[in-house]
Amino acid sequence: MTAEVQRYSREQIEALELAPGTEHEELEGWVPELATEDDLKTALEKAFDFRGDLTITLKSGEKIEAYIFNRSTGATLAESWVQYFAPNAADKRKLSYAEIARLEFGKDRAAGKHWEDWVHAYNEKKAAGEKNIGLHPDALE
Amino acid sequence: MAVPISQMWTVATYVLKNRLNGNQRFPLVLMLEPLFRCNLACAGCGKVQYPPHILKKQLTPQECFAAVDECGAPMVSIPGGEPLLHPQIVEIVNGLVARKKYVYLCTNALELKRRLPEFTPSKYLTFSVHLDGQREEHDFSVCREGGWDIAVEGIKEAVQRGFRVTPNATFFDGTDPNHVRAFFDEVMIIGVEGVVLSPGYSYDKAPDQNRFLGRARVRRLFRAILSNRKKSWKFNMSPLFLEFLMGDRNYDCTPWGSPAYNIFGWQRPCYLLQDGYAETFKELMETTKWEEYGVGSGNPKCANCMVSCGYEPSAVLDGFGSLKGFLGMLKGSFSLYPDRHALNLLNEPMPVGRPLVQIQSPARAIEQLTR
Repeated sequence: MTAEVQRYSREQIEALELAPGTEHEELEGWVPELATEDDLKTALEKAFDFRGDLTITLKSGEKIEAYIFNRSTGATLAESWVQYFAPNAADKRKLSYAEIARLEFGKDRAAGKHWEDWVHAYNEKKAAGEKNIGLHPDALE
Repeated sequence: MAVPISQMWTVATYVLKNRLNGNQRFPLVLMLEPLFRCNLACAGCGKVQYPPHILKKQLTPQECFAAVDECGAPMVSIPGGEPLLHPQIVEIVNGLVARKKYVYLCTNALELKRRLPEFTPSKYLTFSVHLDGQREEHDFSVCREGGWDIAVEGIKEAVQRGFRVTPNATFFDGTDPNHVRAFFDEVMIIGVEGVVLSPGYSYDKAPDQNRFLGRARVRRLFRAILSNRKKSWKFNMSPLFLEFLMGDRNYDCTPWGSPAYNIFGWQRPCYLLQDGYAETFKELMETTKWEEYGVGSGNPKCANCMVSCGYEPSAVLDGFGSLKGFLGMLKGSFSLYPDRHALNLLNEPMPVGRPLVQIQSPARAIEQLTR
């Protein structure tokens, strides 16, 4: 947990009627400007929370498709790393922050799948007389 | 209480042994996620939103056994994803049963009836079937009409074949306690061992973030649901945890009580919250900053959580950790929790907000305290 996160008091927590949930930024297609070390750290923190793959361009010029699932920040970029799975590799891989030149966020896999979208689709299909209405998982292309 | 004596004895002796050895932190249930792939696409789920190449990955039986052996917890819950989609799930379950672990295989039961002949009934194996209430509530919650009928068909077949079965219900904002109580009646008639229930948790990665109950509303809902119980109702949970949901007890979270292992590794800090991964169980236990999590920490990500994976270990440790807790657990096992105020809650209008389901007939049951 980052230090700047605002903490609740016990009283505030116990009195909560509805949980605020997480505000998801629209990050699909985002190419963050990486002018400073902090820019990179912030972008990779967002990448860690992102629900899709990224294209990472290394300083060597190599491009990597990656789902980032873990990160650790040390004192320097060389001591900081992300852990990821690439689409065509079975093993987990690790990459130093210091090797990264560019990030591009890919498709957000949860976008457009809100509860309201389901309720809207359900009501439309019900009104049209459809039976066995449901959402189905995306094909694993 | 519906938990068999042999299972309670195993857990009790495990807790006492750890206490006597001076262990401050030890796991009770390993949450073993062999895959994230699912045959449902629920809007509230934070697990099925991964890219396809992640959804195609799965733990091997050997990885599962290594995690179970390393962790040492006496119980293993297998959620997902849908575990019955794992091609080696039978081998995984058999391996865990051979290790005398109490296994809860969590399934939406769409495939249960078809797969049942591959499994062998055992006191160590329970099918924990996802069933979020009555037919309309469940189908709407899992975004699939007809899902309830298939699941109940699977439950009936499993009960008939001699398996332990516990319906597993999660409740969100808009839940009608009257319907939940009617749901208890329905599933107990089928012959299930007991019901498992929990308020929903706002998974970071879930698309929908607006239907999660806060703690005040959780307590009110569960007081209405769980007071004035019928004798026929059984719960496969610690009575002290149910009292916690009803607002009768205060517990802090025990996140290390239900550690989670999946294709990414050992998840920090718990099954619900993803704040990174450790390579080994030892690393998870020794390097996680536990003080940053749980309701006492003030962490907003833990603010609405009253979920069993964090708080049932607290209740179990209380129940088996002191004479007072043990007596409370005994008392809770046999009490029907009569409460006239809670009865009134059943007749109050639903909280303002969006209804969970479009129930055809909004007529509400009015129960009388005459039993």
